[in-house]
Amino acid sequence: MRVPKLIIPALIVVFIVIGILIQPLFYFPTTEVAFGAQGDSTVEFVVDGLRCRGTAGFFTNLFNGVDGIESITTYATTNSAIFIYDSKKIDPDRIAMLFQKEFRMEDGSFHQFFSEVSRKEY
Amino acid sequence: MWDIGGRMNIRIIRFLSQATFLGIVVYLALGLGSRSFENYCPFGGVEALYTVFTERQFTCALAPLNLSILIGVVALTLLTKRSFCGWVCPLGAIAEWINKIGDKVWKKRPHLPRSADKYLRLLRYVVLAIVLYYTYTIGDLIFRGYDPFYIIFSGNGHETLGWISIGVLAVFAVLSFFQPMAFCRYFCPLAAFLDPFSKLGVVRISRNKETCTDCTLCNKVCHFGVEPMKLEKVTHRDCVNCLECVEVCPVKDCMQVKAF
Repeated sequence: MRVPKLIIPALIVVFIVIGILIQPLFYFPTTEVAFGAQGDSTVEFVVDGLRCRGTAGFFTNLFNGVDGIESITTYATTNSAIFIYDSKKIDPDRIAMLFQKEFRMEDGSFHQFFSEVSRKEY
Repeated sequence: MWDIGGRMNIRIIRFLSQATFLGIVVYLALGLGSRSFENYCPFGGVEALYTVFTERQFTCALAPLNLSILIGVVALTLLTKRSFCGWVCPLGAIAEWINKIGDKVWKKRPHLPRSADKYLRLLRYVVLAIVLYYTYTIGDLIFRGYDPFYIIFSGNGHETLGWISIGVLAVFAVLSFFQPMAFCRYFCPLAAFLDPFSKLGVVRISRNKETCTDCTLCNKVCHFGVEPMKLEKVTHRDCVNCLECVEVCPVKDCMQVKAF
């Protein structure tokens, strides 16, 4: 069956667009860590610096031993982290303060790895 | 874009398509978009497949977009063969344009013997196997420094190999100058990955052997050395549906684009 030549560029555009549109199907959590507490609230942060598995692991480790957090789920794809927390023990401002703290580097300078871009409370 | 008879000039449309996609990648490479140019490469999706299936994770520097674009490109290849290579791939476009400069320089272009060309094309499967084996076992994109696409658009940047990467680019340019689409024919792992899907491609070029005058013009313009004049249906895995052979054919309706 003869088809017009323009079918080729037309299909290219269609399938590239489809390829871009279906990407949310592959938004998998980068890390999912459960802590001991029982949470009653949820907050989602978009965090500058949360880029890959390595930074997500480092980010999650900042909350080891912090009381009041039930779980942290990070998505490097969307630079976001979802916290389920006990609102009687901790609040979003304190969570943001913890991940935005500065670290002392080998040369004596201080460096902040993560900073809050936005937050959404549920 | 239109010739005297009112027909659309497909060569100009293809050039515009290649230039547009190259422009988009340059725009992203300059950091002007919200995503890295690497995330739009379908081969990144191939590199991500293993960790996505085993750990539901993406290797660093890869993203869901790599995989979703790969799915789009595979579906596209099942319909229109490797049209992605001929119409979209910025590296293919650069190789093709370097080769066009070669056309102006060479009075008589040196040609590889057909048997050598045929066996060298198998090299890309070796490249694909090596890249996937080490990427999957090491879990990092360790071949970035050897990838002309990454070297060009990162500006020989992060995780490239200095002079080695510049050497890779020089080899890419010289090969493209001598042999049409040399990198794509012999080394491109994405081409190797798409080959089986391309073989099944539904939209393909057909030659009417009754009206064909055996002028060989179609063979001469084929960048991938497919030799359409020897075929009735161009099912060759290397056909990228660039339609150069259809455009150059002097006999009306001898070369046509057909489905099935």
